[in-house]
Amino acid sequence: MSNTQPAAVASERTLLKARRVNFAWDRTPLHWVPGDPFTTHTINVLHLLLPAGERWFIHVYRQVLPYIHDEELRQDVIGFIGQEAMHSQAHDDVLPHLKEQGLDPTPYTAQVDWLFEKLLGDRTLPPGRARKWWLLERVATIAAIEHYTAFLGDWILNADELDRRGADPTMLDLLRWHGAEEVEHRSVAFDVFMHVDGSYRRRVRTWATAFSALAFLWQRGARFFMENDPSLLEGKASFGQFYRSGRRGTLPSTPSMLKSIPRYLSRAYHPSQEGSTAQAVDYLTRSPAAVAAEARTTEAR
Amino acid sequence: MPPALPLPRLRTVAVAAGAALLAKRALRRRIRKSPLWPLPALDEPISGRLQRRSTTGRRLLVTERTSPADGVVRLRLEGPDLPAWEPGAHLDLVLPSGLVRQYSLCGDPADTGAYTVAARLVEDGRGGSREVHTALHEGMEVEVRGPRNRFPLTEAPAHLLIAGGIGITPVLPMLRRLAAEGADWHLLYGGRSRATMPFLEEIEKLGAEGGRVTVVPQDEAGHPDLAAALADTAEGTAVHCCGPQPLMDAVAAALPPGRTLHLERFSAAGTDPADAEPFEVELRRSGLTVPVAADQSVLAAVRAELPHVPYSCEQGFCGTCQQRVLAGEVEHRDELLTDVERAQAMLICVSRCRGGGRLVLDL
Repeated sequence: MSNTQPAAVASERTLLKARRVNFAWDRTPLHWVPGDPFTTHTINVLHLLLPAGERWFIHVYRQVLPYIHDEELRQDVIGFIGQEAMHSQAHDDVLPHLKEQGLDPTPYTAQVDWLFEKLLGDRTLPPGRARKWWLLERVATIAAIEHYTAFLGDWILNADELDRRGADPTMLDLLRWHGAEEVEHRSVAFDVFMHVDGSYRRRVRTWATAFSALAFLWQRGARFFMENDPSLLEGKASFGQFYRSGRRGTLPSTPSMLKSIPRYLSRAYHPSQEGSTAQAVDYLTRSPAAVAAEARTTEAR
Repeated sequence: MPPALPLPRLRTVAVAAGAALLAKRALRRRIRKSPLWPLPALDEPISGRLQRRSTTGRRLLVTERTSPADGVVRLRLEGPDLPAWEPGAHLDLVLPSGLVRQYSLCGDPADTGAYTVAARLVEDGRGGSREVHTALHEGMEVEVRGPRNRFPLTEAPAHLLIAGGIGITPVLPMLRRLAAEGADWHLLYGGRSRATMPFLEEIEKLGAEGGRVTVVPQDEAGHPDLAAALADTAEGTAVHCCGPQPLMDAVAAALPPGRTLHLERFSAAGTDPADAEPFEVELRRSGLTVPVAADQSVLAAVRAELPHVPYSCEQGFCGTCQQRVLAGEVEHRDELLTDVERAQAMLICVSRCRGGGRLVLDL
C-alpha cells in the first residue's frame, strides 16, 4: 500500500543550522506595506504568535529528545530547535519597535503567552501514560502548525507582489529568512510525529484544533492591530479584505489555503512533497541578514 | 414510516436560529466591551519583554572622530533615545566587515543622544581595532548592540582604580561619578608614554585635589608600583582594574585580603581558546561530576554523561543549552543572556568556569 504511506522526497533534505541574524528596525515604518495597513497588520500577527509559539515548540522538543532513536532525525531536531529559537527571538525583537510606533502589542501577546505557557504547557500529570499522551498530543499539534508555517514560508518566498508595492526591505528579509528556514526544516516536525507516534486519528484531531486555533488567533490579531493602529480612524479587519488581498497577491489566496487542507490530511502526505528546498537555500545565500550571519559565524571560528 | 413532523421541526429550527442570533449579539456586545475577551492573559507577559534584544542592531551615526592620544581614536556615535548605561558598560560594534568587537563606553551616561567609545590600534590584533581606525569615519553609520555591563562600579567605602593604557576607557566614567559624589578614590594609571595615554588632562583635573591620581608612563617611571598602591588601601576597598592581562594578573596576585577585586577583560580574553583552563562541573540532580578539558566545552563534557541535554548552535547565540547555575563563578562567553539572566544561568556550549574552579549545574 505504498500510496497510503507518507513518501519523503530524499533530495529535499538539507543540513539544518541556526543563523545568527540581526535586523535594525529603526527605519521600518508602521505600515511597512505602503498604503496597505490591512496586509501589514495581517502579516504582523506573526510577531504576536511566533515569539511565544516557537518558544513552546522548543520547550516541547526538549522533552521529546529522549524518545528519538534515529541519529539523523536527532540531528535534524537539534538544528530545528536552534532555527526556531532564532525565529522566536527575531520576531520578539520586533515587538518593542511596534510599541515605539504607538501600537502596544502587550495586551494581545500576554494572552498568547498564557495560551502557550499555561494552556499548552506542562500540566500536572502523573508520570507515565498521561504525561506521554500530552507530549504526543503537543508533538502532533506542532506538526500541524509546521504544515502552515511551511505553506506560509513557501508563499512569502514567492510573494513578488510585496516587492512591487515597495514593502520595507528589512521586514521582507526577516519574513523571507524565516520562511526559507521553515521550508528548509518543513519535514522535521512531521518526521518527529511519525517517529514517536504517527497515529492518523491523532493527526486529524490535532490538525482540526491547530487550524481552528490559528484561524481564531489570526483574525483576532488582525482586528486587534487594525482597531488599535494610532494612524487609522476607523480601522477594521474583515474576511473580504483578506480575500481581496489574496487575489492581489499581497497575502496568501483563500483557495490556495483551502487546497492545502486535504493535502495535510492525505495518508500519503509528507512535507517534502511541497515547497522547494533549493529555492529556500538560494534565498538564504542572498538574504542580507543570513549573509551577515554567515560572516559573523565564520569569524567566530 | 413514522408520520412526518414538519411543524415541530420548523419550530426547532426557528428556536435554534433565534438562540444563535441572541448568542451572536451577546458575544458582540461582550467583545465590544473588552475586545480581547475571552482569553486569559499571563500575569507577567514574556513576549516583547525579554530585554535581550539579541537580534536587533541599532544604526548610529559617527558624528565625531578625534584622536585623544597617539594611536587612539575616539568616536561619538549619535542616535535617538539610546538605552541608558552605567559606568563600566561596553558596547558591541558590528564593523562593516561583520566583525563584532566590544568597546567600553567612555562618555557621559546622562547623554541619551550619543555613545562615546575609544579604540587603540593593535598592530598584531585580530583586525577589529584596525578596522575601527581605517574604516569608520565621520558621517558613516555603524551598527551597535548593547550596552551591557559586566564591570559595574560597586558600592564601597573606598575605591582604588587601576588602568593600563586603553583600559582607562571604562574607568573614566567611574572616576567622574566618584569625583561628583565626593567619594574616597584613587587612580593608578599606567601607559607606555604620556603621548599614548588618552584623557590625561581631564583625569589630572579630576584628581587635582588631594593627589588622587598617580600617572605612571613607562618611559619616565617604569612599571606602576602595584604592591605599594594596594598596600595603601584600607580594608573594604573595592579595586577595579582594566588593562592588559599581565597587569590584571599582577593585581590579582598582589591583592591584600579584605579588598574586593573587579576585573574587566576588555581585550576579549576568554574568546581565545588558548587561555581556556580545565575545570570540573558537578551535575547536582544527576549526582555526577564531570571533568571539562581545556579544549572541551561544558556541553561536550555533559553530553558524554547525559546524551539528551538540549543544545543547537554551539556558538552561544540560540540559547537552547541554557542551564541554571547553582554555584561557581561563570565566565560568560555568549552573546545572548542579559546581565540579570547571567546572575543565575549560563550557556554551556561556550561559557566556562572562571579560573579553573568548579561549577554546579542544576542538571
